[in-house]
Amino acid sequence: MLKTIFPTLTRFRFTVQILMLFVTVYGGVLLGTYTVDRISQALPSLACAYDKSTGDHCILIVNQHQFHHRIGEALVKAQEITYSILIPTAISVATFFAFFFFLNKAFCGWVCPMGTVQEIVYRIGRKLGRPLHRFDRGNVGRVRPVKWLMLLVLVLGLPLLAGLGTVSNELGDPFCQVCPSRLVTTLLTADVEQIAVKTSGGISFFLGALGNTLFGFVIIAALAVRQPFCRICPLLSWNALFQKISPMQLVKKQNDKCDKCSVCEKACPMDIHEIGREHGRKAFHEDCTMCGRCVEFCPDDDVIQIKFFGVPLFRSSREQYKQRVKYESPEGMPKRRVIPILPKQVHE
Amino acid sequence: MRMNAIGVLLLVFAPLSNAVEPPRAVVQGGHDHAAMSGAMGARDMPRPTAWTEFPTLKTKMSGANRESRIITVVPQNIVAANIDAWSNNLQDADAHRQLPMELGGARLDKPTTGGFQMLTAREEQGDAVHVASTVYYFGERSAKNPTAMFMQQKNELEIIPQPFPREHSRYRANEDWQFLARFNGQPLAGQKVDLSTSNGSRMALMTDAAGVLTVRVPDDFKMVEEVKQGGGHDHGARKAADLVLATQHVANGKTYLTAFNSAYGPDAFDQRNLALGLGFTLLGMIGATPLLRQRKNKKPVVVDTNNKES
Repeated sequence: MLKTIFPTLTRFRFTVQILMLFVTVYGGVLLGTYTVDRISQALPSLACAYDKSTGDHCILIVNQHQFHHRIGEALVKAQEITYSILIPTAISVATFFAFFFFLNKAFCGWVCPMGTVQEIVYRIGRKLGRPLHRFDRGNVGRVRPVKWLMLLVLVLGLPLLAGLGTVSNELGDPFCQVCPSRLVTTLLTADVEQIAVKTSGGISFFLGALGNTLFGFVIIAALAVRQPFCRICPLLSWNALFQKISPMQLVKKQNDKCDKCSVCEKACPMDIHEIGREHGRKAFHEDCTMCGRCVEFCPDDDVIQIKFFGVPLFRSSREQYKQRVKYESPEGMPKRRVIPILPKQVHE
Repeated sequence: MRMNAIGVLLLVFAPLSNAVEPPRAVVQGGHDHAAMSGAMGARDMPRPTAWTEFPTLKTKMSGANRESRIITVVPQNIVAANIDAWSNNLQDADAHRQLPMELGGARLDKPTTGGFQMLTAREEQGDAVHVASTVYYFGERSAKNPTAMFMQQKNELEIIPQPFPREHSRYRANEDWQFLARFNGQPLAGQKVDLSTSNGSRMALMTDAAGVLTVRVPDDFKMVEEVKQGGGHDHGARKAADLVLATQHVANGKTYLTAFNSAYGPDAFDQRNLALGLGFTLLGMIGATPLLRQRKNKKPVVVDTNNKES
């Protein structure tokens, strides 16, 4: 029955993504106005607090407020950081972790509304025959540190400095001001307030202008680049801090054929080349969003698996690979479609 | 012309309220947590307190930091022995507390369950029953849905927000919000409700057949002087003013007057520019456009994925 409805993991994941898109963007309308107060308020995906009908919101706005209002202000008042100040921050992280613990980075690949929208835009790009730009092994390393910089500077650093009074209070939640998910999710509810840039101050204006420009860039770039914003998302790095201690793991066994085959690399929307080259813990890279495409497109039995407490939930198989490529290529090209690029012609 | 009308209104209301200064839009600190978290602006700053003759509850916040925050509830235009605080968790031991009036007001502590607190004050003198009500919000993860608490009958005549703005939201100018007017639990159809704001707006509204009142929050910030008040940890200064809804009902030989007050902010697009926002978005889109171009001299090919096996 399930096999008929969801013949592939991608179909199943896309169904979950659409469902979660409704919960994270319209959840307040579907489940009640105050739902946002009751689920977690520390979701490990970019459900936006600025969306007035969201069902929950992401942990990053909580982190920014806590560093701004609690820790920063306590320090500036020359008080010791007491348990009463640290406990709310610890509770937020613990709540986040309670969610994250079971699903690991599947929050990125299965729940995040921004990830879902980028995937949909990418599919449209395939239908329109746009080229595919990938990061090769040489240049992907240049992009990867940006997500850590975003976390340290925009989520933790500047809000803390704002709380200390070192920088303007307008920098109290700088990541939210540049986050394209704020614009995507509010626009999906027909709310255009967030796309109007603030003119109340120079910094607010700068952040708003930057955020809008980034949003415009990401939406168009997603037609030709897979998951462009995910690569620099601070939630990806925040999640990466905990990914190794979750019972949900991506596991890859060593296999001699992997040297000659790079299908899983091509299937990976985050251009994680390590999945093809490495095995064991190294194959589960910090950029992985647990979308499962590498498992689906691995042509060898049991080489790549998604395990929960050591129990395989999903594993690669040749039969599945044959079935999968009937629908699309590893890069996401629809079957038998005129495509203006070949793997060798992929723009690096 | 509009200013003249406000001036006339001020003259009318000044003797009633002992107003000594004109209404002002207050630019006050605080992001939406604070903006929604109480009546009368939610901050412990001097405010023109006598802009309305209706009973109101003012919440003042003080304390060195968030951990030692003290909330004081000050009744205005009403004499009450205590303040009733209703928690959103009806099963909680503190679901209904009576806060004794002390010097300067009643002290409101954060209950363990946090969330929304409905505050009411009641005064009975002869045949007149006056009630003031407001909502205060304590940020709390997984706080219970307050709808049942709002709907629980607390007094004979009530104005109930439906809903009250949730966290990261607040009443704002030009937005429509709904309230239920009811007497002894029964909706009051065609009931007249007066709306007043500290910015000087006054209007009379009417409930529909279901007792529901739809309020378009007045956009009245531009017609009053803006006074910037420093301090606070705001995400950019935010204007705020106060509104009160009041209605009267006569039954069983008694006259009931109830009022609900809260803070509200300016229009969503105040200090925002949509054209510039669209312009920067377009700029980003143009910046990404080169990625969409096909390289020349590359022949489109058919990828037959059925033959792609390792």
